Amino acid sequence: MPILKVNNISISFGGLRALTEVNLELSKGDIVGLIGPNGSGKTTLLNVISGIYAPEIGTIHLQDKEITLLPPHARAAKGIGRTFQIQHLFSNMTVLENVMTGLHKDIRTGVFGAAFRFKRVRAEERIAKEKALEALKFFRLQEMANRMITDLSSIEQRMVEIARALATNHKIILLDEPAAALSPAMVIELGTLLKRIRDEKGVSIILVEHVISLVLTVSDKITVLNFGRVIAEGKPDKIRRDPAVLEAYLGKEGGYA
Amino acid sequence: MRNFGNRPRMSLGAGAGWIVILALFFIPLATNRYVQYSINLTLVYMVLALGLNLLFGYTGQFAFANAAFFGIGAYACSLLTVRLGIPFWFSLPLGGIAAMFIGCIISVPALRLARFYLAIMTMALGEAIQWVLIHWDRVTFGPSGFQIPPPSIGGLLLSSDRSVYYVNLLVTLFIFWMARNILGSRIGRAFVAIRDSEVAAQCMAIPLTRYKILAYAISSFYAGIAGGLYAITVGYLTPENFGIIQVTLHFCMVMVGGLGSMIGSVAGALVLTSLPEILRDYQAYQEIIYGFILLFILIFMPRGISGALKRFRWFREEIEKLTL
Repeated sequence: MPILKVNNISISFGGLRALTEVNLELSKGDIVGLIGPNGSGKTTLLNVISGIYAPEIGTIHLQDKEITLLPPHARAAKGIGRTFQIQHLFSNMTVLENVMTGLHKDIRTGVFGAAFRFKRVRAEERIAKEKALEALKFFRLQEMANRMITDLSSIEQRMVEIARALATNHKIILLDEPAAALSPAMVIELGTLLKRIRDEKGVSIILVEHVISLVLTVSDKITVLNFGRVIAEGKPDKIRRDPAVLEAYLGKEGGYA
Repeated sequence: MRNFGNRPRMSLGAGAGWIVILALFFIPLATNRYVQYSINLTLVYMVLALGLNLLFGYTGQFAFANAAFFGIGAYACSLLTVRLGIPFWFSLPLGGIAAMFIGCIISVPALRLARFYLAIMTMALGEAIQWVLIHWDRVTFGPSGFQIPPPSIGGLLLSSDRSVYYVNLLVTLFIFWMARNILGSRIGRAFVAIRDSEVAAQCMAIPLTRYKILAYAISSFYAGIAGGLYAITVGYLTPENFGIIQVTLHFCMVMVGGLGSMIGSVAGALVLTSLPEILRDYQAYQEIIYGFILLFILIFMPRGISGALKRFRWFREEIEKLTL
């Protein structure tokens, strides 16, 4: 029983077909790698899943409930978190505040409660703060909690972004190139971390990534996109040897090399 | 916005803050009528700047209708008292609610617009409301304006500038406290998140529409309350008090004080209202010096007074922590 089911999605932008009849299934506690050459539609697919783009055809189901027409914030409230290729951290906040913003849906505070800072509101804030610190601890970033986000290195910022998506109990996290600009050693560390997130927190992950070594080591399943179509899917071992995938990445054998 | 909860018993900054607040209550002992009047007006502008900062500085909405909400609040509060005899303590919040109501209505078309388009639309709205104040003279007394009798609270007639000061001070403190609480909650974080990245905010389960409307509502409520205080401070209202010049002034206060800083708004309002008074002795050069000082601040403190003070640790750790 898949937790997320992407069914027959097509979308185009001004005549350009970005995705064509894409299907994808994510089982609970799995990491699905999503790879493909530049412009193959990986980020577009993440944007469709998180609700930033509406597909022309096709449906998306989260645990049997259709979410195709829900706005992004409603999908986030239902448990789909994400990070971005170009970081979208809140640059005027501290690290802790960034992560606490990720906990928005877990806090119930309304405007009157907030304005008069009732006891209940203070308690909620305290719990949110503890949860955020716990998420930071998971990434060994608790020391940084009160620093401004802009004071952090790029890897630390990337970690904060993942921590922000993880702080709340999302069922699914969509990661858009988390390894971009990381050193090889850091990529290995990130891989360990992703497995820990999956195993310890039971979170399902869709991982869009260009660093193929990372995708091959952490993914339970891999889907390969090219020109907006799924050209292969299966276990990492199978994908590694798939002729269509090799062709998409390296060109046809004996072709125009 | 910095640091949450878990406050030490009482820090140096908190101690100093309480002393300042206490000292504020003794100001009337050391003023003459004119100075007192200017200080009363400064408090009004503090409320205005706080409200505008919330919408512009924190939530990033480039809206120019603040003077209109200011006018609606002033007129609604005063007219309710003058025409219907509603006591001031009740008409003041009603004026705020009237402004908030219009603010919510405006926010709906405003949601579809960004930056300059939003600025132009809200500017037009400000003009429209001024037009209503001028031409709906059966209710508003038209272009020549009207006198506001001194309000009374619980049988106590607030006829002197000193008594008005205490009303303004208490309301301003209360407004500041509420703003600080709101901004320190998930609502404040949602506002800043929307300004920094709408896409990411949505992916944090923050509904943009709801929070933008909320920001307009709070901001216009604040402007409306400021309007009511303005009315009892000056004692006479005409529509021209609420034109585009006013919005420019409010924006200057927020910019000079520092975007996204509560204490900055207070400082900005203080500087921009007291400067002309201090410069009064240099009559001929007053405007030139005023303009020069504004330029100086914008060039050397591009992030405003609070931005410049942020370089000092004591400010970050003692002052900002308490005031956001």
